[in-house]
Amino acid sequence: MTFAERMLKIDRRIIFAVIGLCTLLPLLYPVGLAIRISPEVKAVHDYIESLPEGSVFLLSLDFDPASKPELYPQAVALLRHAFKHNLRVIGMTLWLPGTGMANEVITRIAEEQGKVNGKDYVFLGWSPGGSSVIINMGQDLYKAFPTDYGNQPTKGLAVLNGVQNLRDVSYVVSLAAGTTGIETWYVFGKDKYKFELGGGCTGVIAPGLYPLLRSGQINGLIGGLRGAAEYEVLIGQKGRAVAGMDAQSVTHFAIIVLVILCNVFYLSIRKARQAQGQGGHS
Amino acid sequence: MSFELLLGAWVATGLTLFIFTFLYEDNPLFKLAEHLYVGISVGYAIVKTYDTVVIRLIYEPMVKQGDWSLLIPLAIGMLMLARYVPKATWMSRIAFAFIVGVGSGLAIPRVVSSFILKQVEDTVRPLASMVQGNPTFSFSLADPASNLNAIILLVGVVSVLFYFFFSIEHKGPVQVAARTGILFLMIAFGAAFGYTVMARMSLLIGRLTDLIEYAGPSYGRPSLWLAAVTVVGLVLWSMKRRPQTEPTEE
Repeated sequence: MTFAERMLKIDRRIIFAVIGLCTLLPLLYPVGLAIRISPEVKAVHDYIESLPEGSVFLLSLDFDPASKPELYPQAVALLRHAFKHNLRVIGMTLWLPGTGMANEVITRIAEEQGKVNGKDYVFLGWSPGGSSVIINMGQDLYKAFPTDYGNQPTKGLAVLNGVQNLRDVSYVVSLAAGTTGIETWYVFGKDKYKFELGGGCTGVIAPGLYPLLRSGQINGLIGGLRGAAEYEVLIGQKGRAVAGMDAQSVTHFAIIVLVILCNVFYLSIRKARQAQGQGGHS
Repeated sequence: MSFELLLGAWVATGLTLFIFTFLYEDNPLFKLAEHLYVGISVGYAIVKTYDTVVIRLIYEPMVKQGDWSLLIPLAIGMLMLARYVPKATWMSRIAFAFIVGVGSGLAIPRVVSSFILKQVEDTVRPLASMVQGNPTFSFSLADPASNLNAIILLVGVVSVLFYFFFSIEHKGPVQVAARTGILFLMIAFGAAFGYTVMARMSLLIGRLTDLIEYAGPSYGRPSLWLAAVTVVGLVLWSMKRRPQTEPTEE
C-alpha cells in the first residue's frame, strides 16, 4: 500500500481530532484576526441607526436551541444595539422550541441595558400558525397576541403605544434557522404591510437568501456566526461571535488543506494506476 | 451562583460530551443523550402548545372574556380528531379541505408575487446604463447592481434553464449553453457547501466555548470532571463489549 493509499484510508477519528484541536486551540489562545464588515451586515446596522428614538423594532427569533451558536450572538448584538438606540423592542418567535431561549435572551439583555418590561420592551412569546400569525399581526396585533409571554394583556402596554398592527412597526428583523423565517416574513408580511425587513440566518440557509437581498426584498442580511461577529464589531461590543472567528478561520484553513491533500493523494493514486495499466498493456 | 445555573451547566456539559462520544463510536452514552433530547423536545412542545393554544387562545378568551365565537374554529379543529373514529373519518375531510383551501388561497398569490415576479423583475435589469444621456457600462464585480453583474446573472439564469430543458437533445449551441449552466450550478453548490461547513463549524465553536466556560472553578469544573467520567465510561463499555465481539471476529 502506497503512502497516498494509506492516507486516504486514514481513521476518520484522526480527522475529527485534528478539526477539534484546530477549533479548541484558537478559542483558548485567541490571535484576534481582523474582521471585515460586509455591506449586507452594515445595512442592517445602518438602518437601525437611522431610526428615530422610540421607533418600534420587532425582532422575531425564529430558531430553536439547535441553531443557538449562530443565531444567539446575532440576537444579543441586535438587542444591545436596539436598546442602546432607545428603540421600543417587540420580541416574538414563530418557532415553538425556541420560546424559552428567546425569552431568556431578551430579558437578559434588557436587564443589562436597564430596560423595563412593558415600557421599553415586550416579549410576546409564540403563537401557532406560522404565516397565519404574521397575517393576523398585520390585521390586529392584539388579536394575534392578546397576552405576552408572562400572560399580561398586551393592550395598554406602554411599549405598544400607537401600535395597532405591523404597519406601525418601523423595522422587522427575523433571525431564522429555516422556514418559518425570513421568507415567510417577506411573503406574508412586508409584501403586504409595507414595513422594512432585515434578516439574520444560519450559514446553511444564507446562500438561498441572497437573491432576496439583491432584489431589495430584504434590506440586509446577517449570515451565521461570521455575520454576528461583524455586527459585534459594528456596535463596538465584542462578544462570543468575535471570540469564535479565530477558531472559524483556523478550522476553515485546516479543511482547505485537507481537501487539497485528499485531491493530491487521489490524483497520485489515479496516475499510478494509469501507469500500471499502460505498463501491463505493453 | 444560583443552583439552577449550576445544574444547567452540569447537565449541558454532560449531554454535550455524551453526544460528542459518537465521533468515537455509537455507544450507550450517546444513545442516552439522544433519547433525552428527543423526549424533552417533545415534552416541551406538548406543554407549550397546551398552555398557549388550549389555555391562552381558547379557554381564557371563551370562559373569562365570553368570546364564544371561538367555538367555530374549535369545532373545525376538533373535526380532525374524527380520523380516529373509523365511521366518522369522512368528517375530518371538512377540516382538511378548510386548511388546504385557506392555505392555498393565502399562499399562491403571495408566493407567485414574491418569489417569481419579484425575482424575474430583478433578473431582467438593464445591461447598460444611461448617465446624463450617455450610455455607460459599469464593470464592478463587487457592486451587485453593476452592468457586468447583470450580464453574468442573465447568462447564469438562461444557461441553467437550458440545462433543465430536456425536450431537445443537448447538442451544438444547446450543449454549450447547458454546460455553461452546469458551471453556474457547480459554483452555486460550492457556495452552499462552503456556507454549510461554516455553519457546522460554528456549532462546534458554540459547544466548545460553553465547555471552556464550564471548565471554570465558579461552576465546579464540570467540563473536566464529566470529561473524565465520559472517558472512563467509554473505556469500561469498550472492555465489556470486547469479549462478545472477539469470537465473532474469529
